Amino acid sequence: MAKFSRRSFLGGSAAVAGGLVVADHLRFFEPSTGELTSSEEFLTGKEVVYRTGHSNNCDGACGHLVHVTDGRVTMIGPAEWGTTTVSGEQAPTFHPRICLRGLSQISNTYSPDRIKYPYKRVGERGSGKWQRITWDEATTLIATKFKEIQEKYGKTAVWVAPYTGSLALIEGVIGAGFRFASVIGASAGDSEGDNEGDSATPAGWNYVLVDPTNPSNAGGFFTGHESVDFMSAKTIVFWANNVAETSLPDWRIMCDARDQNGTRLVAVDPRFTVTSAQSDEFVPIRPGADTALIDGIIHQIFENGTYDSAYIRANTVGPYLIDPSDGKWLRANKVIAGAKDDYVVFDESDNKIKAASDPTLKTAAVMGTHKVGNLEARTALQALADMAAKYTPEYTEKVTDVPAAQVVSLGQIWGASKPLAVRVGFGLSHWYHGDLHMQALLTLQAITGNIGVHGGGVTTFAGGMAATFAPFDLLDFWAPKGTKLYTLLEPMNFCDAVEKDDPFPVRAAWFPIDNFAQQMSDRNRIRAAMEKLEFVVVSDYSLTATADLADVILPACTYFEKTDLLSSNNFYLQYMPKIIDPLFESKSDLDAVRMIAEKMGYGEYFTETPEEFLKQIMHIGQPDADPSTRGLTWERLTTEAVRLNTDPMPYVPFFNQQYPTRSGKIEFYVEMLLPFDQELCDHKEPIEASPTNPLYSKYPLVFLSTHTKFRTHSQFVNLPWLKEINNGGDGFLEINPRDAAPRGIADGDVVRIFNDRGEMKVRARLTESMKPGVVNCYQGGWDTIRVKHYIEGHPNNLTHQIAKPAQALIPNFPSNAAYYDVLVQVETSGA
Amino acid sequence: MAAKKDDYVPHHVMVIDTNRCIGCWSCAIACKQVNNEPLGYFWNRVLTTAPNQSTTAKAPASDNLDVPWGTYPNCELAYLPVACQQCNDAPCVKVCPVQATFRRDDGTVLIDYNRCIGCRYCMAACPYGVRIFNWGDSQHAPGGVVGYGKEYWTEDRLVFTPERPKGVVEKCTFCVERIDVGEEPYCVVACPMGARIFGDVNDPESQVSELVNVGGGEQLHPELGTNPNVYYLPVAKRVPGES
Repeated sequence: MAKFSRRSFLGGSAAVAGGLVVADHLRFFEPSTGELTSSEEFLTGKEVVYRTGHSNNCDGACGHLVHVTDGRVTMIGPAEWGTTTVSGEQAPTFHPRICLRGLSQISNTYSPDRIKYPYKRVGERGSGKWQRITWDEATTLIATKFKEIQEKYGKTAVWVAPYTGSLALIEGVIGAGFRFASVIGASAGDSEGDNEGDSATPAGWNYVLVDPTNPSNAGGFFTGHESVDFMSAKTIVFWANNVAETSLPDWRIMCDARDQNGTRLVAVDPRFTVTSAQSDEFVPIRPGADTALIDGIIHQIFENGTYDSAYIRANTVGPYLIDPSDGKWLRANKVIAGAKDDYVVFDESDNKIKAASDPTLKTAAVMGTHKVGNLEARTALQALADMAAKYTPEYTEKVTDVPAAQVVSLGQIWGASKPLAVRVGFGLSHWYHGDLHMQALLTLQAITGNIGVHGGGVTTFAGGMAATFAPFDLLDFWAPKGTKLYTLLEPMNFCDAVEKDDPFPVRAAWFPIDNFAQQMSDRNRIRAAMEKLEFVVVSDYSLTATADLADVILPACTYFEKTDLLSSNNFYLQYMPKIIDPLFESKSDLDAVRMIAEKMGYGEYFTETPEEFLKQIMHIGQPDADPSTRGLTWERLTTEAVRLNTDPMPYVPFFNQQYPTRSGKIEFYVEMLLPFDQELCDHKEPIEASPTNPLYSKYPLVFLSTHTKFRTHSQFVNLPWLKEINNGGDGFLEINPRDAAPRGIADGDVVRIFNDRGEMKVRARLTESMKPGVVNCYQGGWDTIRVKHYIEGHPNNLTHQIAKPAQALIPNFPSNAAYYDVLVQVETSGA
Repeated sequence: MAAKKDDYVPHHVMVIDTNRCIGCWSCAIACKQVNNEPLGYFWNRVLTTAPNQSTTAKAPASDNLDVPWGTYPNCELAYLPVACQQCNDAPCVKVCPVQATFRRDDGTVLIDYNRCIGCRYCMAACPYGVRIFNWGDSQHAPGGVVGYGKEYWTEDRLVFTPERPKGVVEKCTFCVERIDVGEEPYCVVACPMGARIFGDVNDPESQVSELVNVGGGEQLHPELGTNPNVYYLPVAKRVPGES
């Protein structure tokens, strides 16, 4: 609007000021020239708006509307979702969603922390001395070193570890890195992306709901209820899940349920969180005692007789009889003359022992001890009731610190409020016995008839692998014809592979968007192992603690700068067009992989464009496309966020009550766990963070390192807008005044947090949100050469890598870093 | 709703449902983005508070964000997002010696950046502390201009410019450039909780009319007589299991 203004000079001077600010912010490596447009160009520019998906490892998988002016992103907002499924059915109402992290993405893409050019190390590893090189030099160096190391130590001595920094299809945790690893015969990290603390609860899920030995289950899977399905619940229990902070777009759905349907919200947590504050009830639990509380509730269900006999009889192993001599299932061919191999039940209509498939069976008894020959055989449900008998409200209170009256009240809620949904955070998985916690929750949900029903279930992330994996032919993408799938090496086995050649030697590693050296537990051990590697490559968009240790750094694109697809954690396919040109000399992971593969002689596997790969992976337009996407055209995929076909809608796992277990039923009695004394969900104390641990006298505080709304793991941490509202970006230790006072700690004091594995220093924040005896330091802050969000160290200096053997039963979820199962001491620090 | 006359003037009102406010600051970041607010400045802030202002719970153990009232496990925590309250009887308008701050007929209180002389009387007069003074040259992240990115004029006054000059006062405009073309303020669009509702309180069928007139919407410090156009739904004392 051209009007006279006595301040009209301001436009011009502002442009100059903007330019200076840009230069001033480019403090890493060489200043760039001309990559960012000036304010002046911007003010006259033409605006174009794109739709994309935000792929930076959030539950939200938000759709973004991205405004671009003169090639620069200038504004981000929430995008609408398509209103119909692939096959044209009306999709459930799903609000546009965004949060403070997505809104800050502009400052992430244009951050001075961006890696702008390829570099090679010129000083000691970790010295931060770099020399800028060309892409050609960098990829030649990588190809040469990878080949050398593969020839010397075997092909799997190169380990590729794409991780959850991005959840997009072609890059990141299910991306092209795995294809590269297969093609060159390398080993690779965990494609489920949940081995660094997120695989215990999936393992527990598989014990009860999946037979891991059946090849059609592909080693185990994990999924959950679609977020909008929680609208159907009468009660929602957030078990160790701070949804309102860590998956905050989903909290709207919980509030809609609360405000529109009168759904009761219950939060079980050792911390009083914003989720606790907005729930109707807060259950303050001792960390790691979750299974004991669940057992206390199960006991109440039996006391009150509110278990769902009909559901248990139809859908669970509840009525099946157990052989008292060995705890295994009683087999019909052993105890009933002429019977085939089958489970055994007691028919209460005629008091006879029968095979489970006996056509004369009328009503299988769900409870009781029944005489089978000279054996006294209990039903599985009876065995559960007997196990839970000791979990009286008083005993449960003693173990969990949850008041006995509240245990009774939770029993009443579970018995009377159906359907009841449980949402579980990965915090529950960050325990040595995280698998058992999940096994226990599923047991409770099974006996109350809450599995496979709308508004029920136990959900960690909505959709999960149903949305992330099912629509795609990933095996063909990862291991193209003529190649063998990469050799899996779990992140938890990395150190042994480097240091002891167990199970095979690893001498080189490539971390595409994986901040392994900071985010993996027992970081001192990880860093020592990384020191021993002969060659380390990091491709990332920001200069991470892992990049600090690299021999070659490759600058990667953010999600605006490349073509990809996002289909994680909700049921919409979000095409991610290339919105702006790659900044500086950054390249997509696919382009980086292609250049290296070509130089190693494998270029033939990477000739496709991203669009061609997407079409191949989805079998677009082909009759053999997955039923969730069959009939979808490329044009529709690229013009709207289409909802996958699911049955039912909203998606509910096992809605048909068919379970891919050995019995075909929900197996809350888990025969394969007999060797681990875990066939039933009897509480076990945490491996470290327990008062029964002798270490407790030395380290009497449970140390949590939870997530916060201001970041997603180690992404977004150093962005000015977010630092301004988060203590200037400085980490702090949350501690209850009752723990602080005897230690002489005042609010804001620098404290030293330590155990036998390591230490860190931050300032103390006194807060009654913490249960006495528990402290918390938000994880993800940076500890790089240039940026330190903690005064010294990092929470992962204190965590450990103790894997639980039982989890090895589930090939896809075999080990887990128990980040929260940690004891520390805290003292004031002179600093 | 009856057809509106050409000269119809809406009365813009925002209602914030504090039952839904989770203190995530998405509104503040959205505000920062669309208005290209300088580093260190927030037109819109999210205060940590307790659900009931008359609470007798023990005060927080420290005065940081997100620290609850009370004693574990009996804690209370709520949030209060505060930006310009767009008062109908605005103290800032009355004290401005050069009529730089003015109120439009739709209820929106704006600053004319061509008139503001930086005397800051308005900042002293505002009981809500929502006005910000540009002491020096502003610093921005990520460096370039973000957001609306153009000047905006209304009633022949310059009420938005992407980089406000040194020496003027700035504040929330109700996203005047957006509402004048029928869009919602950006904090309303960006709130992941749907906690912000914007509309025309002159329209008896609007959602804001219902919330203000019968839904329990409350003004901040009504005793001051400022008569804000921002209303808050207080945290309800819900009975579990009942709507």
